[in-house]
Amino acid sequence: MRQAAARRLRAWAARRFGRDALPHTINRRRIYILPTAYGLTLAAMIGAMMLAGLNYGSNLGLAFAFLMASIALVGMHHCHRNLLALRVDAAREVDGFAGNGARLEFVLQNESGLDRWDVEIRCEDRAAAAGAPAGIASADAARARAFASVAAKAQQTLTVMLPTPRRGLVRVDQFELCTRYPFGWFRAWSYVHAPLTVYVAPRPHGERPLASSGAGQGAAAKTDLPGDEDFAGLRAYAPGMPLKQMAWKVLARGQDAAVRNYSSIAAEPEWLDWHALEDLEPEARLSQLCRWVLDADAAGRCYGIRLPGTQIDLGGGAEHRSACLRALARFPHESPA
Amino acid sequence: MIGQRISYERLLWTTGCLALSLAPHVGTIPIWVLGTCATAAAIRLGLAARGLDAPPQVMRILVALLAIGLLFAQFHTFNGITAGTSLLALMAGLKLLETRVNRDVCVIILIVYFLSLAALLVGESLWLLAYLIGVCWLTTATLLRLTVSKPGPNWRASLRYSGRVLLHAVPLALVLWLFFPRFSEPLWRIGGANTSATSGLSDSMSPGDITDLALSDDIAFRVRFTGAYPPPQDRYWRGPVLYNFDGRTWRRTDYDFASAPEFIAEGPAYRYTVSLEPYPHPWIYTLDWPTQADLPNSRISSDLVLLQPGPVSRPTDVSASSNTRGRFDPSLNPVLRARDLRLLPRGNPRTVEFARQLRREHSNDGDLVRSVLELLHTQEYYYTLEPPPLGSNPVDEFLFDTKRGFCGHYASAFAVLMRAAGIPARVVTGYVGGTFNPYAHDWIVRQSDAHAWDEVWLPGSGWTRVDPTAAIDPTRIDRRLRDAQRESAAANIQLGANLPWLTDLRMRFDAMRQLWREQILRYNPASQQSLLSHLMIPEPDAHKLVMALGVALALVLGWLTWQVRRELRPRANDALARAYAQLCAKLASRGLPRAAHEGAESYAARIAAARPDLASTVVPLCRRYSELRYGKGHSRAEIGRFALAVRAFRPRDSRAS
Repeated sequence: MRQAAARRLRAWAARRFGRDALPHTINRRRIYILPTAYGLTLAAMIGAMMLAGLNYGSNLGLAFAFLMASIALVGMHHCHRNLLALRVDAAREVDGFAGNGARLEFVLQNESGLDRWDVEIRCEDRAAAAGAPAGIASADAARARAFASVAAKAQQTLTVMLPTPRRGLVRVDQFELCTRYPFGWFRAWSYVHAPLTVYVAPRPHGERPLASSGAGQGAAAKTDLPGDEDFAGLRAYAPGMPLKQMAWKVLARGQDAAVRNYSSIAAEPEWLDWHALEDLEPEARLSQLCRWVLDADAAGRCYGIRLPGTQIDLGGGAEHRSACLRALARFPHESPA
Repeated sequence: MIGQRISYERLLWTTGCLALSLAPHVGTIPIWVLGTCATAAAIRLGLAARGLDAPPQVMRILVALLAIGLLFAQFHTFNGITAGTSLLALMAGLKLLETRVNRDVCVIILIVYFLSLAALLVGESLWLLAYLIGVCWLTTATLLRLTVSKPGPNWRASLRYSGRVLLHAVPLALVLWLFFPRFSEPLWRIGGANTSATSGLSDSMSPGDITDLALSDDIAFRVRFTGAYPPPQDRYWRGPVLYNFDGRTWRRTDYDFASAPEFIAEGPAYRYTVSLEPYPHPWIYTLDWPTQADLPNSRISSDLVLLQPGPVSRPTDVSASSNTRGRFDPSLNPVLRARDLRLLPRGNPRTVEFARQLRREHSNDGDLVRSVLELLHTQEYYYTLEPPPLGSNPVDEFLFDTKRGFCGHYASAFAVLMRAAGIPARVVTGYVGGTFNPYAHDWIVRQSDAHAWDEVWLPGSGWTRVDPTAAIDPTRIDRRLRDAQRESAAANIQLGANLPWLTDLRMRFDAMRQLWREQILRYNPASQQSLLSHLMIPEPDAHKLVMALGVALALVLGWLTWQVRRELRPRANDALARAYAQLCAKLASRGLPRAAHEGAESYAARIAAARPDLASTVVPLCRRYSELRYGKGHSRAEIGRFALAVRAFRPRDSRAS
């Protein structure tokens, strides 16, 4: 019932305030606050204190009870203030792989002269909020959250791991900032209605070697057996790159993870074609294509992707890779009219 | 975070807070309860120091059941302050034992708050309040540490923060305290409210009873006269009247309201207010003899004792008036006469014989009384705190053998002698004298002023006060008593005989305490009404009180909101922020206000686009501001130059350009 009420409130807030532009500064009209269970216990205790004070005619007892009530009220103001005028920004489009989760990055900026403690960001995708389709534990989706404290005049990056059990597009319509600081008696929260799109690419999977575009000059074999003479430098590691090309020595030196690059293969352009995998199930085809995209990218090759209804032209580099993965995530595409 | 496993350090602080909140209860709650708490804390801390968790659950449940069973066996109830406090203390101790995560300790924190309140229901001093506010401060800081996830604010920051919360809370609490409607009567009576009131007179008197009060410095009550105050020989504060004598102890059975007191007042009436400390009896001390009193449901019994229905369980103010002269029961009702002549048929034979002899010598009752007082004065009677023990005929032994006694001995023996001589007599207990405090303008009556005297009925004048103790030769008064008396007498007249500054200090301190009592402890509906009339609110009543509470709360909450928001804004003493605000204001006056979300650089870019003529000044200024604000290590001089540049900046109006 509480979740239902929260859902109704979110829907109402979304209608009432419309879309928010990022970066968004939290406005005092958009902060909601309610006592927590601990706060309600405290309220009951203060009530008992007042009754005891009144009943025993103890003015000092009453004074103490009123002091406690006032501390609770001040705590409420401070809880509300902990979110007030915080500025939040987020990457609007995020990539992820099915089963791996997507990293949603938020930046909290605190321009005030006060430290903000324990600000939590929660994301719930629409599917999870609507009662979760079969196979997805909605509790998991609800647990997509992260905590951070932001010092005065500083900013802080928070990473929320959004569970992505299935390939596809995930729309996070809104996220929630909340806090229980200072004493855990109140919970203040605010919704930010900024749609974040998560492109969940298929899980990279598949046994088939990277098919050559033309006659097959053993490029796939070369991929499997990279010679030392082909080594042409390092590239930054990104999730999904084959581990066998991982430059472990670099990682061991404490530097950023990197993968080895092979120049000899780089020259060969490669078309990754949906139609070349007709014997597989559609999802398995997508997984295989994803595997190929990562392998080709890791090998530094020039590649393109052909899917029913769309095509990504030959190219290379991080942006190209992302475009290919998003095309896989968005599948099926309506054929261009 | 609240679900985090508790660290040793936080456990230690929580235990400390619990110990501090239990400290004022030492002496009222059973010692084994405190022992259980201490043991539980020691076990838990010992385990935590070795990085272990709570002991097994079976053991905890067993200990809890045992302790709560013991508590119930001792009190037979969990109601009332002492039993309730003990239960809470036990719960806190046992909860401490089973603490695993921070959430468990949050419950203990609530108990600590409640234990502090319970201490204030019993104790009433300013120091206790100050101490408990200090405990509250520490506890709140501990709670902050418990609820904020690691690494939260450190201890110093937590203490500073909770101190600020407390300071913000004080005005609000004050308004609530001043305007929150009180009840003049308790909602319901809970037993054990008057545990603190134990000393003082009781409703019976054996000869040795009052001695233990003689050296007690505790204050029994205070009196403030409106107008003149009576001369020293008339400062008798009347308590219970005792008339049933069983050969050793004087008692009373019940109070008679059936017949109205027959008292014809003469001489001046004294008007005064008695401020009573609580005691477990229904009578109220008044100046001998009370004629009327201003206290709801109170009555004056036929033997002129002011009584209320229940015991004086809380500090009470009673306004009354008395006449020290008058004729009391000029015609004695035969039933009362018989009652006040009754003696045990046997016992104290020598006294009875002596009374008969006196009767033969003096036909006039007044002469007889005077001759006995003369006897007490001239013979070797001593007034002492340590009289020898008396046997089976205590009055005989006292009057003819030991001749040493305290006021109780004299009052008792005198009444017996009078009754044996056929004169109706009874014992009155109460207080005599008092010390004037020039700083508070009131009289302090201490337990050491407790006294017993007699009333004898004489034809024509009715009941007459006779104080046999006063007849003793001053040289035969125990030295300790004489010192005590001299001290109070000296304080009466010119403040201190040997240590004037000490007496003076004591008086000032006492005046302060009295102020505390009158203004704070006994703040009541009447005080609230007078507060409203001070605030120029006509015809104050309960509705207007609630309205005043609403208005005052709104004001204070407004102040609080402002105060809380103010801390969010850049510091007012920040010269850089002031200069930047000035720059923005200048631009805003030219129709280019800064949007709340805009940073300095983007604002400058927007202005450069809108007003190219200003770009050459505004863009460098804004860039400079960003450097000063976000860059490292800028001197005051640099900020000063920036401020000067802003001041020199005069944006022209767009039409003029």
